[in-house]
Amino acid sequence: MMSPQEWGSQLVAHLLEAGIEPEQARLLAQDSVAEAESAGEDPAALYGPAVAYAYVVGQTLRAPIAAPLDRARGAVVLRLTEVTKRYGRRTVLRGVNLTLHGGEVAAVVGANGSGKSTLLNICAGSTRASGGTVERTPRVGYAPQQYGVSPFLTAQEHFRLFGAVHRMSGRKSVATGSRLAQQLGWLPRRDIVAAHLSGGTQQKLNVVLSELNRPDLVLLDEPYQGFDQHTYLDFWDQVFAWRDAGAGVLVVTHLLHDLDRVDHLLELPKADES
Amino acid sequence: MTLTAVSAATLRELSRRRVALLFVFVLPLVFYVVRVEVPWQALRFLALGIGWAVATLALFSHVGARRLDQRLGVIGASPTGLFFGRQLAVVVTGLGLAGIYFVIVALTQEIPRLPALALLLVTTVLISAPLGAVVSLVVPRELEGALALLTIMTLQLLVDPADAVAKLLPLWSTRELSAYAIEPVGEDYLYRGLLHFAVTLVLCVLLAWVVSYFRLRPVRLLPPA
Repeated sequence: MMSPQEWGSQLVAHLLEAGIEPEQARLLAQDSVAEAESAGEDPAALYGPAVAYAYVVGQTLRAPIAAPLDRARGAVVLRLTEVTKRYGRRTVLRGVNLTLHGGEVAAVVGANGSGKSTLLNICAGSTRASGGTVERTPRVGYAPQQYGVSPFLTAQEHFRLFGAVHRMSGRKSVATGSRLAQQLGWLPRRDIVAAHLSGGTQQKLNVVLSELNRPDLVLLDEPYQGFDQHTYLDFWDQVFAWRDAGAGVLVVTHLLHDLDRVDHLLELPKADES
Repeated sequence: MTLTAVSAATLRELSRRRVALLFVFVLPLVFYVVRVEVPWQALRFLALGIGWAVATLALFSHVGARRLDQRLGVIGASPTGLFFGRQLAVVVTGLGLAGIYFVIVALTQEIPRLPALALLLVTTVLISAPLGAVVSLVVPRELEGALALLTIMTLQLLVDPADAVAKLLPLWSTRELSAYAIEPVGEDYLYRGLLHFAVTLVLCVLLAWVVSYFRLRPVRLLPPA
């Protein structure tokens, strides 16, 4: 049987993992334990397991932070017209069409090898289409599937580096990055380089970097790999928060969860060898 | 802004690879110590060791950052800033290494022309950083690139420097400048060394910059009409 103090300590630990500031986490745990004691109940019986309660509290506290940002809505941020991509004789993409406005989410789905990542790279501009036209807003955020962060830099150093590209000051970059990280339930530590973060937390960093400059269009290539269930849900909440704030979001995914909430579903057929 | 931010980030990355930095220091030391009894050879081998270490550092720095730099290019970073930012960090690290070895050599050898020793070490660093970048662009994988550098440096060590073909190798100038630093030779050695250095530097920098510019530059996409 866990003592109320042990439950409180666990709650603090889980709240910290959920991105709550240490002082606030301690106060919340103290209040919760005190409230349970005054009600004559065991905190575990009253609130349930500390990990589950921390998730609920974390979501509640993050909600005001995730309020929509003030952005213009409605303009076309990405237009693909008859986009094709061939590698030698192999056609990876054939006649892809999509018009994405600000305030919309498009999901790109398809089997392995159907060209999902290739399409995202074409939208980003890191790969050239073999045919068709790609029109895209210049203010873009981009989270590639892999190798999008430096293993030897901390989260704050990433924020400064990416912020410099967006002509943001170091202080503003770190403040914005830390705030966005909290929305994904993560409190970045100053002394941990990306290589020492878990796979899921590295992906959170990847996602945060794509949103640092409040882009008009966010391109995400399966960024939730390594996320636990809670973070996965937070991620989709975040995607819809960006949409509600007026950004266009293009997400490459192979999971069908939440696809009924997206505005466009682009299903790519398996690439052919002809 | 991109240049200074990339340079600062690269220096932080390098500073965290402590074992790699240790070997960057040890490699030239080994080259120097095995020839320490023959001063002109010790100097030339030391320069080649520094060149090899710095070129390898540049190679790994550019190869390791390729995907990240592509991402930064997509969101608006200047390809020129990305390239020269990484180069600046490698050159600064290399000059620090050169500074340490300048002191070591000055304390352990009779060097008649100390400024020429500094010139030898600095020119070696300045050539090696873009040389590593060139190799990283031609052979964009770490192991293959390291083997390519090994081949170049082995050639540099084994080919008779008096041979005309040796002048085609990137660090031939080290032979002229090390001779000028330590032997009673005329200034023609200095001029030949500096000329070879200047030509090699310009070629390596231009080649690496132009190729990396086109590799890191994203496709130009028009805004939606």
